[in-house]
Amino acid sequence: MSRWIWTYVRKYRFFMVLGLLMAVIVCALNMVNPMTAGTIVDRVIRGGERALLPKLVLLMVVTTIVKCLIRYVYQMIFEHVSQNVIRNIRQDLYDKVQSLDFSWFDRGHSGNVMTLMTSDLDAVRHFIAWVIYMSFENILIFAFSVSLLASISLKFTLMMLAVTPLIAVMALVFAKQIKPAHMKTRDQFARLNTVVSENIAGNRVVKAFVREKYETDKFMKENLLYRDRVIEQVKVRSYFIPRIDALVSILPVVLILGGGFMIISGELTLGQLVTFNGLMWALSNPLNMLGGLINDAQRFAASADRLFELSRRESRIKEPEVSSLTGRARGKIEFQNVCFSYGDESVLKNVSFVAEPGMTVGILGPTGSGKSTIAKLMCRFYDCTSGCVLLDDHDVCTISLETLRRNTGVTMQDVFLFSDTIEGNIAFGNPDLPVNDVLEAAERACADDFIEELPQKYDTIVGERGVGLSGGQRQRIALARLMAVDTPIVILDDTTSSVDVETEEEIRASIESTSGTRTSFIIAHRISSLEKADLILVMNDGEIADRGTHAELLSRSGYYREVWYHQNGIELPEGGKR
Amino acid sequence: MARNKFDIDEEIDPGFNPHYVKRLLGYLKPYGRELAIAMTLMLVASLAALASPFIIKIAIDTYMPAKDTRGLLMLAGILLLALLVVWLCQTKRIRIMARISQEVIVTIRSDIFAKLQSLPFTYFDSRPQGKVLIRVVNYVNSLSDLLSNGIIQLVADLFSIILILVLMFIIDVRLTFICMAGLPVLFGAIFMMKRKQHKSWQNVSRKQANLNAYLSESLNGMKITQSFAREYENKKIFSRLGQDWKDAWIPAVMANFAIWPIIDSLSTIGVCMVYLAGIMWFRDAVTVGTLVAFAGYIWRFWTPIQNIGNFYNGIVTTGAYMERIFETIDEPVSVEDVSGAVCLPAIRGHVAFENVNFSYDKGHLILKDVNFVISPGMSVAIVGPTGAGKTTIVNLLSRFYNPDSGAVLIDGIDLRKVTIGSVRAQVGVMLQDSFLFTGTIRDNIRYGKLDATDEEVERAAKAVHAHGFIMQNANGYDTAVNERGTSLSMGQRQLISFARVLLADPRILILDEATSSVDTETERAIQAGLVALMRRRTSFIIAHRLSTIRNSDIIFYIDHGRILESGTHDELKAAGGPYSELYRSR
Repeated sequence: MSRWIWTYVRKYRFFMVLGLLMAVIVCALNMVNPMTAGTIVDRVIRGGERALLPKLVLLMVVTTIVKCLIRYVYQMIFEHVSQNVIRNIRQDLYDKVQSLDFSWFDRGHSGNVMTLMTSDLDAVRHFIAWVIYMSFENILIFAFSVSLLASISLKFTLMMLAVTPLIAVMALVFAKQIKPAHMKTRDQFARLNTVVSENIAGNRVVKAFVREKYETDKFMKENLLYRDRVIEQVKVRSYFIPRIDALVSILPVVLILGGGFMIISGELTLGQLVTFNGLMWALSNPLNMLGGLINDAQRFAASADRLFELSRRESRIKEPEVSSLTGRARGKIEFQNVCFSYGDESVLKNVSFVAEPGMTVGILGPTGSGKSTIAKLMCRFYDCTSGCVLLDDHDVCTISLETLRRNTGVTMQDVFLFSDTIEGNIAFGNPDLPVNDVLEAAERACADDFIEELPQKYDTIVGERGVGLSGGQRQRIALARLMAVDTPIVILDDTTSSVDVETEEEIRASIESTSGTRTSFIIAHRISSLEKADLILVMNDGEIADRGTHAELLSRSGYYREVWYHQNGIELPEGGKR
Repeated sequence: MARNKFDIDEEIDPGFNPHYVKRLLGYLKPYGRELAIAMTLMLVASLAALASPFIIKIAIDTYMPAKDTRGLLMLAGILLLALLVVWLCQTKRIRIMARISQEVIVTIRSDIFAKLQSLPFTYFDSRPQGKVLIRVVNYVNSLSDLLSNGIIQLVADLFSIILILVLMFIIDVRLTFICMAGLPVLFGAIFMMKRKQHKSWQNVSRKQANLNAYLSESLNGMKITQSFAREYENKKIFSRLGQDWKDAWIPAVMANFAIWPIIDSLSTIGVCMVYLAGIMWFRDAVTVGTLVAFAGYIWRFWTPIQNIGNFYNGIVTTGAYMERIFETIDEPVSVEDVSGAVCLPAIRGHVAFENVNFSYDKGHLILKDVNFVISPGMSVAIVGPTGAGKTTIVNLLSRFYNPDSGAVLIDGIDLRKVTIGSVRAQVGVMLQDSFLFTGTIRDNIRYGKLDATDEEVERAAKAVHAHGFIMQNANGYDTAVNERGTSLSMGQRQLISFARVLLADPRILILDEATSSVDTETERAIQAGLVALMRRRTSFIIAHRLSTIRNSDIIFYIDHGRILESGTHDELKAAGGPYSELYRSR
């Protein structure tokens, strides 16, 4: 885990080393003022060398200013490095998330990813921007003062250091106990994130059912649990940190007793004791900082663990090393004995069919019969459990995902639009699309009429998920988005279910005008949407129950004919029922 | 409505509003007693800690030259006692303050959450989810440090400053004034930086919100991104937003870090002045011990000032977040219960629209002068082209919005005069987007009626023909539903949300394109159940399928926000208007 973070920090190691070197200078300069103060006492006050004083005072002031400037510079160096590091980690994790497969997203991780990208990355930022140099500074200050004191009186120094082993032990135990507490707090924070984000996304349903109180209760549970996690973590902290502080506070006692007796016995001068007194802060400050630094470091460690987990996650959809297909496909799709199960539920069983380039294939079947799954396997959002899916006679698993998906355009049932302008949404698949092409795509999806009526037309920002638009309008923008990328294969999954019949007629005509150049799959419940298809697959319970053209299917009794009769308002002839 | 998107900065009032700090302090009010205890503990601890230089001074000045062993032992004993006091006080204080600050955070977070529950659709529709989310979760958390350490530390620091000043005055008045000479410089510097600092932290909060919004939307729309193989483009946008954040961050911390060197330099200069003055001018009056003690106190005098500097930085940093939080809590609510609103009594289901006009955006009327009266138990089909205003009619009926003018009446009662909750409890809506929550299928159906028994849940599922596919899952009704229900097919999601409405058993039922993704057979079966169901209640159906529409008691044909035609299927078919045209196109 720490090695993983290191791969990001490495790039900036020269700056880090530079910063730490500057810290060494600052720590050395930190010793100047107490020493000068000691000199003032010994030589100016006691020795009466008053002429020395202005020089010594000047030394102190200059030292401080130089020290402050250098410190400011390296603080900014560490800020820059930390910002760069978290930017790079964030970017890599974003890429990672983009590469993960649908089944990962289906399991629902948005709350966790949001937490990783905000508070966990902030713990990393804080560690690099602050904890590293603070620890370094304190270790240096401690080492400097110990060696300085030792040069004055080794015996007295050892007396002063007597408590440090105890502090070290306590710090180690603290480090061990605080990390799991941080881990728990952080995981609960992710749950809080999930609950709130779900509530925001589902705010319409909440209001429709007057479930505000229920939602608030649900939220309060996580809210209170988060509080409890923080308090548990504080309990660990409040056990150790005041104890460490108390041990540190023994130093002045040692100073008075040890120092006093050594003066009485003549082993130490008063001036030396004053120097010790002046430098005591340099011993106690680092020790006082210890608890806080360990706490921050362990918070970082807990967050880094979680970040590392995500960075290691592998997509189940594996990219082939070499793509067997490049550029534009002709558009032949073949399913060979495809089976697919989701969890332990079998969704597709032995599905086989061939769609030649330019063909239109209709897919019809009851809810949950596996229609959308066929589309998802074609774009390789999932891999089939057995059998294979071929594009232009190449197994889709041997085609690079980008090539495959640039050849297969799909509109999904669950229309998702981005909080962008309508133009931006239509040009989603190709951001450099000329305006004229955007207009043309909208026209072909029969979306131009209503877009023109909006106050800001194509510049209207649609809310996230296209809220504010009706279902039919959203579907048509999604269709225009698909039309704007010219793919040899288009899959329309229930694309016009919320569009009124008149508009659907127009859309169908416009799609038909381009058929012949494209292979189209139309998944629909309305027979009128797919009756002109060259091949119609009737799905039932994951299997192709029947196939043929509209005329063929209508000539036999079965699901297709039943649906057709029903949709046209004709009573089924006797004996036609299954 | 002016919509915000991920790369548009939120509008922010540039000046810092100190009123928000007062608001924050208001949240601390209920904990006055505990705060006082914590404060006392803190003061006792700092008092005890302050004793040490004084005791050391006595040791150096008096007992050590006198070689008084017993005196030294006594002083050591006092120090040990002080240490014990500090330890006990600090442990207790940290715990009390952690509890108080967490309670305050819980309260603020639930206030902002409760506020979100009362805000209209438009609030959520007009900005990316991520920008709302970050306020509730991250921004509130950023107050934690300020609350648990900042405020109490501030009081303690002020106290130590006063105490040290008193001690310093006792030791030597002139030296004290000399060492305080640096303070005006500090205040001047802080005052000069204040506005710029505040602005740069506001900028950080905006860039952070943008990044968050884009991330959250990326996650929700990932399937679309992958299907269009647009990962590279998104990566570039995300990287740009990350860079924007960094670019906002650096100047903000640069200003924050500047405080420290100023304090450090001023304190050193203070010490030097004391030495100079003490030795040059007051040499007869100032003893070595006094000078040493004084130097000790000067450092101690500046430490709390440094802390206050940090506290100030904390206020500036979180100030930008605090503003966003309170801004949300103060957000005006467009639809709310008027004072004296009563509960809508159990209704029969009579619905009337009287000259209703409505617009989401000013000047863009969605409904124009809509009038109709529906008797209890009638079924109404609303048809018309996309965007004609069909959904808006039902939104007004369940009072998601108030009409701009005119009135919506149920059982003759103007909806504006009754509580929102009592209206929506009796008007069930099956929305276009069938949003499901994380949980089980059972939980999701039960959302319609929280105290429903398992049998009731199943009965509702059977009525909408969802029972079959639910039982096909190994866990039946306990099958887990993930975020937004994406593991289920669209049709299945619609059936579950339909069962959810049925279970709520509303007097008025609204089906908004509810079954568009359900196969014909299922829809027909549902229809049979619906006939029985609708017999006892008023229903509004928005659908595109004639089979659904035909059986309604009355059909409204709507276009451009007006009811162009109304009547039964046969009447309208015969009338030769737009409805009959629609029918013929089938």
